[in-house]
Amino acid sequence: MPVGPVVRDDQTATFFDGTAQGLFLLPHCPEGHASSPHAQQCDTCGATDLSWVPATGDATVVSWAVIPGRLSDAGAGSPTVLAVAELTEGPWWWSQVVDADPAQMMVGARLAMRFERHSPEHEAVPVFALANPDS
Amino acid sequence: MTTTSAAHAGPRSFAAGRRPVVVGLGITDLGKVYGRTAAQFAGDAVRLAAADAGLRLSDIDGLLVSAGVTNGVDLSLQRHLGLSDLNLLSEMQAFGSTAGQMVQYASMAVATGTAEVVACVFADNPLKENRGAGAAYGGAAQMPSGWMGLLGASGILGANPMYALAARRHMNAYGTTSEQLGHIAVAQREWAQLNPLAQMRTPMTLEDHQASRIIADPFHLFDCCLVSNGGIAVIVTTAERAGHLAQPAVHVHGWGQSHPGYFLRRSDDFGLVSGAVQSGPAAFNMAALAIEDVDVVELYDCYTFTALISLEDYGFCEKGEGGPFAASGVLGPNGKLPVNTGGGQLSSYYLWGMTPLSEGIIQARGHGGERQAPDHDVVLVSGNGGVLDHHATLILSPNPT
Repeated sequence: MPVGPVVRDDQTATFFDGTAQGLFLLPHCPEGHASSPHAQQCDTCGATDLSWVPATGDATVVSWAVIPGRLSDAGAGSPTVLAVAELTEGPWWWSQVVDADPAQMMVGARLAMRFERHSPEHEAVPVFALANPDS
Repeated sequence: MTTTSAAHAGPRSFAAGRRPVVVGLGITDLGKVYGRTAAQFAGDAVRLAAADAGLRLSDIDGLLVSAGVTNGVDLSLQRHLGLSDLNLLSEMQAFGSTAGQMVQYASMAVATGTAEVVACVFADNPLKENRGAGAAYGGAAQMPSGWMGLLGASGILGANPMYALAARRHMNAYGTTSEQLGHIAVAQREWAQLNPLAQMRTPMTLEDHQASRIIADPFHLFDCCLVSNGGIAVIVTTAERAGHLAQPAVHVHGWGQSHPGYFLRRSDDFGLVSGAVQSGPAAFNMAALAIEDVDVVELYDCYTFTALISLEDYGFCEKGEGGPFAASGVLGPNGKLPVNTGGGQLSSYYLWGMTPLSEGIIQARGHGGERQAPDHDVVLVSGNGGVLDHHATLILSPNPT
């Protein structure tokens, strides 16, 4: 499934500035705790003076789901694998796992982040790919 | 029923005459019912509930309204019902836990004298003629924006994927299987066959469940609830007033809420534990009852998995044992534990938290007909909203103590 269209709002503007550069930004507090991108205050200590820091983009599978491909004249489309993943920094993130065979999915499987756009006028969307599908 | 001399913050702390009782239940036509707005369904439901109770509309002095996905019910319902000089009026939204919560706030209102007769109503009309049920909960048509827009753009559209992610996590952690989830769907379909209100009454086998198309793996179609149009209202008043009304009183002995506020980061138990683990004991404590006292269980079952994790978290089986428990034959009309005796949201009708609440009232009254549980002294009603985010529990009984 290609990523869908999405536009920014006030809260997501900096985050999407990051994805446009291939960066997944996470808010960090002065203590160095990383919070979820949508956090208004530090997930760990409640601090409100947060600054955006690029994440590594490395993550592991917490869980996954598979949406069947749509039937069309060309036959059944390929399924979409969706995952909730735990970023190395701690927060979870939800997206599709591109180019994944559902049979490859397992808890703890390593993921790397990529970015895809629905079209040039829409924001870049983080997606995952299996980091080492052959190992 | 067990009693203790311990002090409780709930109904027992109020004078016997002011303790809360459900006296009215109004259910409109449900399912593929077209040509009426959610507001009309809501008005009809309240009128039906008042008639059921033997009350005049003008007896109502409190109104709590709750809208579904079409957002079609609001405070203007007061005027549609011709209600003047209300002592209580509000719109509530805690998704699938709202119905249970409305009864809780109505109970507090009548017990404290804030209001005497409170109607609680939910109505929705997501189904449109010539449009599939899948479109009903498919999301907004406007350009997606912000964090929610990003979630959708990433492929996480609607509730199906999020609940599927939760269910898959439970499967990985505890070995829960699709077949075990299927046993819940099959058992509830057996109940639905005994319920004239149920939309889905054709027999279903485990093979039918396994053969139904995949919606969001691990969920098959028959793991997912229906989509329904309609409205349901209940009326809460005091025990003193209930004694003069038309229907058998259904006493509200205990309640609890839980809103886990999942951190959604490392070490979170999303998909493994639901809010029922907190709202259940709170409700039992208030009622001075224990899970062993429960005769009938009406759970929120937007998915088979929601019912399964609720069974675990209330303590009907051990954590992680919900799958084997469901597959053991304990559910269904021939099982030992009457769960979702009307067919639940999977097979009867999907009016959010009003589905388990309405069936719980019917069972507590002893009005279940062919599906009536023989013992119904203690009925547990459970609501679940968001993605396991909001829980509301009620303990209902035909007995005053």
